[in-house]
Amino acid sequence: MIKKAIGWVDERFPLTELVKHELTEYPVPKNLNYWWSFGFLAVFILALQLVSGIFLAMHYKPDAQLAFDSIQHIMRDVNYGWLIRYLHSTGATAFFAVIFIHIARTLYYGSYRRPRELLWWTGLGLLVLLMATAFMGYLLPWGQTSYWGAQVITSLFGTTPFYGEDIVRWLRGDFVVGDATLTRFFALHYLFPFIIIGGVVIHLVALHWVKSSNPSGITLNDRDNIPFHPYFTIKDLFGVGVFLIVFCGFVFFGPELLIEPNNNIAADPMQTPAHIVPEWYFLPFYTILRSIPDALGGVIAMSMSILIFAALPWLDRSTVPGGALYRPGYRVLVYLFFVDVLVLGYIGAKPPEGVFVVIGQIATFIYFGMFLLLPIVSSREGRHSREEGLPRQAERLIREEQEELLRREHYQARPPTVTPVARQRRDSKGRK
Amino acid sequence: MRARLLVGLVTAALLAGLSNIALASSGQLKEVEFDQSQAARQRGAETVVGVCLMCHSLKYVKFGDLADIGMDKQKIQLLLTDQKLEDQMLSLTPLAVRKESYGKEPPDLSLMTVARKKGPQYVYTLLTSYYTDAEGNIDNHLFPGVKMPDMLGYSFATQGSAERVQIEAQTRDTVAFLMWAADPNADERRELGVYVIAYLVLLTTLLYLLKRRTWRDVR
Repeated sequence: MIKKAIGWVDERFPLTELVKHELTEYPVPKNLNYWWSFGFLAVFILALQLVSGIFLAMHYKPDAQLAFDSIQHIMRDVNYGWLIRYLHSTGATAFFAVIFIHIARTLYYGSYRRPRELLWWTGLGLLVLLMATAFMGYLLPWGQTSYWGAQVITSLFGTTPFYGEDIVRWLRGDFVVGDATLTRFFALHYLFPFIIIGGVVIHLVALHWVKSSNPSGITLNDRDNIPFHPYFTIKDLFGVGVFLIVFCGFVFFGPELLIEPNNNIAADPMQTPAHIVPEWYFLPFYTILRSIPDALGGVIAMSMSILIFAALPWLDRSTVPGGALYRPGYRVLVYLFFVDVLVLGYIGAKPPEGVFVVIGQIATFIYFGMFLLLPIVSSREGRHSREEGLPRQAERLIREEQEELLRREHYQARPPTVTPVARQRRDSKGRK
Repeated sequence: MRARLLVGLVTAALLAGLSNIALASSGQLKEVEFDQSQAARQRGAETVVGVCLMCHSLKYVKFGDLADIGMDKQKIQLLLTDQKLEDQMLSLTPLAVRKESYGKEPPDLSLMTVARKKGPQYVYTLLTSYYTDAEGNIDNHLFPGVKMPDMLGYSFATQGSAERVQIEAQTRDTVAFLMWAADPNADERRELGVYVIAYLVLLTTLLYLLKRRTWRDVR
């Protein structure tokens, strides 16, 4: 019965074909470590945010007079409203934590390199969308931090030459952040996740075309690839389990740690808080913004700090495959970069005075310096390892990769026509 | 030149560190533990309704919600004057009078203990920092010139007296109630959390075993 139904569908839609191609026969390198589980985790959190967000929207009021109260209504009167809200607020933090690790993995193992440039760029596009969504969502509780954060961030667009003020007014729908801003941010905060889903689909289509990279950065032999299902479904589900233990630890035992105390005070346009600190996931970029003495320069530097990642496939000129595994120079750069981002994040949480400004500026300089150093370090490294030779394991993998390529070319070079001998045999069979 | 720069940097770093310490100590919050039992919350509720509600409100809490901290209806009724159980805990003094006395509406207390870092300690310290200065005026160490009068009478009781100990206990209970008012589902959340984590640990262990079993034949 079920078989018949599936058969009926298959005739009209490639269901079985799809499951085969994307799951049960989709080849994944068997040497992936757990850092490769974070992409799956990100999809899981996206689903979690969507579901919890839709339920929140059923009880939330996007109105400057009602928004703050409606959050307390959710927290107190809605059945398990506190759980839904804490899942969503903790989920935002978890989303960025997982995405940052996902990106760090890409950097460390050089997964952005040929032929995965488009995969990398769609991923960066998703990061920008995620940041926009998170920023707009953060206004919705309509607390002091929400309000003044939005005020500061939207005013950044005022640095645009000539049209600055118009753009800010167009974004806010008013001269200051107000009811009009709240309503449009709510509408867009509801819309963007669905655009993100579209982006994720494109990201996955690109992934399934070029296939996953792996720690070595060398395309593995067919026999070293295993199907996604069941091997990686179960591995990634185990990853989700570990994630959920940590996540629920926060949701049930310390959800308020991730909510700025100032945001428990309703938005007051007449009272500016002493320090306006953005959410932790924006801190490194915030430091870069503040480190440039000129306002417009700061905004450009902050945008560049994300956009510059798109240039990585060109900046990395190494002839050695992959990322940090077989490239000691690159490894040093990557580790320095990670430490530098942590320093930038720490400085972002501090008031911009005295030594913090200097450290922030040095860290900003190092941040961009890494990208400038990369072409030099990577091309020198390539030359050096051609002289010295790579580790034996890498040499073997490269040899196997080339053999595999040759084999494929060998088969593909022949035209897919029937050979004369076979034709003769077939013809003689037919005559009998 | 470079040496001088280095010295400058080190001094700056040291100064920054010192000013951090100075900032931390100028806060001078009293580190106290708050009894989160229902009994303590109930005692606190009596103080809040009897004293704080003269000027403050707790607009997100209803009198009927006090049943959640174990007060029965008769006990709640004893606290009320002409309000009903389904009413919000609002101040009985007209807003105009309060505005005239303090220059603005006294802040709502529903979220007071979560509205700043170490909120409970802050509220406790504020209430137990009143003193009488040389001219006989009452002021506050934590918040000099605070408009709120010393309602619990901390500055009137002499240091070390039984009365002062009693006021400190009363203040702790008041804060315990306010903590509940700010996050009324905290008990349920933690209780549920234990089961959720236990379930997840079990599930994840099973997933791990299944993963090992599935991957047995790889490599």
